[in-house]
Amino acid sequence: MKRYDLIIVGAGPSGLSAAIEAAKCGMSVAVFDENAKPGGQLFKQIHKFFGSKEHQAKIRGYKIGETLLSQADEAGVQVFLNATVAGIYLDKEVLVQLNGAMEHFKADTIIVATGAAENMVTFAGWTLPGVIGAGAAQTMMNLYGIQPGQRVLMLGSGNVGLVVSFQLMQAGCDVVALVDAAPRVGGYGVHAAKIARCGVPFYLSHTITRAEGSDCVTGVEIAQVDEHFTPIPGTEKQFDVDTICLAVGLSPMSQLLKMAGCEMVDDPRRGGQVPLVAENGETSIPGIFAAGDVSGIEEASSAMIGGRMSGLAAAAYLGFLSEQDKDHRLAELEVALESLHQGMFAPGSKGKAIAKTDEGIEVSQSLLKKGYLDDADLKRFIRSNKTELTNKKSGVHPVIECTQNIPCNPCQDACAKGCIKIGKTITALPQIDEDSICTGCGMCIASCSGQAIFLVDEDYEPGYASITLPYEFLPLPQKGEVGTALSRSGQPLSTAEIIDVRNAKAFDHTALVTMKVPADQAMTARFYKS
Amino acid sequence: MSRISEHPILGPTETGPKVTFFMDNQPMSGYAGEPIAVALKAAGVMIHRYTQKAHEPRGIFCAIGRCTDCVMIVDGIPNVRTCITPLVAGMKIQTQDGVTPLEVSQ
Repeated sequence: MKRYDLIIVGAGPSGLSAAIEAAKCGMSVAVFDENAKPGGQLFKQIHKFFGSKEHQAKIRGYKIGETLLSQADEAGVQVFLNATVAGIYLDKEVLVQLNGAMEHFKADTIIVATGAAENMVTFAGWTLPGVIGAGAAQTMMNLYGIQPGQRVLMLGSGNVGLVVSFQLMQAGCDVVALVDAAPRVGGYGVHAAKIARCGVPFYLSHTITRAEGSDCVTGVEIAQVDEHFTPIPGTEKQFDVDTICLAVGLSPMSQLLKMAGCEMVDDPRRGGQVPLVAENGETSIPGIFAAGDVSGIEEASSAMIGGRMSGLAAAAYLGFLSEQDKDHRLAELEVALESLHQGMFAPGSKGKAIAKTDEGIEVSQSLLKKGYLDDADLKRFIRSNKTELTNKKSGVHPVIECTQNIPCNPCQDACAKGCIKIGKTITALPQIDEDSICTGCGMCIASCSGQAIFLVDEDYEPGYASITLPYEFLPLPQKGEVGTALSRSGQPLSTAEIIDVRNAKAFDHTALVTMKVPADQAMTARFYKS
Repeated sequence: MSRISEHPILGPTETGPKVTFFMDNQPMSGYAGEPIAVALKAAGVMIHRYTQKAHEPRGIFCAIGRCTDCVMIVDGIPNVRTCITPLVAGMKIQTQDGVTPLEVSQ
């Protein structure tokens, strides 16, 4: 029986992070993953991540995956693919289905980083071909280059539903509506805003009543729900779609931990049945750890920190790392994790209605109900309409439509002129320093993972303003072409002329498109349609 | 469904060599190494199997080998998860009816 100091189940963000830390301490590490490719869900994450520099913010998920794989390789981690762990037995014996046979391995420590599985909801017709999970959509379009459908309805307004809706549009699909039974958008407002301005209508307090079709999905019916989530007769709406995408949450895949005899607990806030764990991931069984979504649903950035913590704790458990060094390094990681757990979307705030930002500004209800900031709400947050700026000389300036306390701060490092300030608390809303002079370089636009920064020049030409916006679709508009400026809700406003298109390498595939619009639309036009 | 020839973030889609396979005896083409389910989707096949009791159609659902909704008969072996099984030239794929091949495909 082959023996390892540490066996890790799952080669996703937390498993690989744990493996890297443990191997660097000198442990022999084997990682088993049932998939043909390592990286878990990271290679399907094509958006820029939130957080700060230490969390690899503004780097796209699949790039983070590539970095983790090369670090694991350098550290000497052995990754077994197509290797399904079927059981964890007494004295840390691990049974693995490998190359068509069952093989036994012996570990001195184990980290279970199996992640999570998608939840489902049932409705009439939900088993028809064409009803898919949001993860399935990501797999098809971002790994294998195929459109999951042509016309798609998305159920679920959490970050997964919002991000995947945007990715569907990037893959060239039409998203006809975003539906959620909850009365408020569950994910980040900035993610909602970037699909709302493409014209996707939001139906909050709505649910799917049935999928239509005999052999596969040909349509879908939704209806408004009352406070008990019961559909209200007479409120039905029908859409012709070929695909219904479900993004209704995740459940930890914690079965192996239960089988190993770890003490489990049902915790709805963590997504279901999870092991009882210490902060470093240690379960009730000494030497067995849980890291990432399996110990509570969060996202990849915190999963990577959790993985590193477990890797260090496993190393210290076997004496590969002194207790002192372990405590020191864990304390650093705790600070990094803690900063992700701040703000309106902190684990403790799940499901709660929040009335005001940390700054004391009343939150935008239109953002929560319709996915975009309406003009009245906007005024509370944006003071950059030039007439209201005291020291503004002339020319371009950033307009930041970031109105929720989310853990993210790359914009403040992006500006070489120090124009944007967030401060030490990374969930604080960005502030614009009116004394700084904006050069219009656009780095702030490209660095904003939420695509919430625009450069506006109210006096571009007499009677006309220019607006520079982030653009991540194909085909890219061409300089000189004339199309339509869209509002935050995706409504056509006026004709717009493209006056500049920038696509520098430093922007990492976020093109900067500048359009010329009538001056009175400087603060309303936020997207462009060819 | 159409393939994405160029993606705004990921660039051109990389594929293996083009190969022929057989779906219920009909020749179809796909790219070697991609999941069978992807090749079928590109060819417009939505139904992978029918359930044994109610004879209801099923297709791709999770696309990561977890739900087993997309299983088909591949080279004579039933219950193959097509979403995680790579396509190989000349593969014989059959719509599964319960646990046997659908009549048309025999």
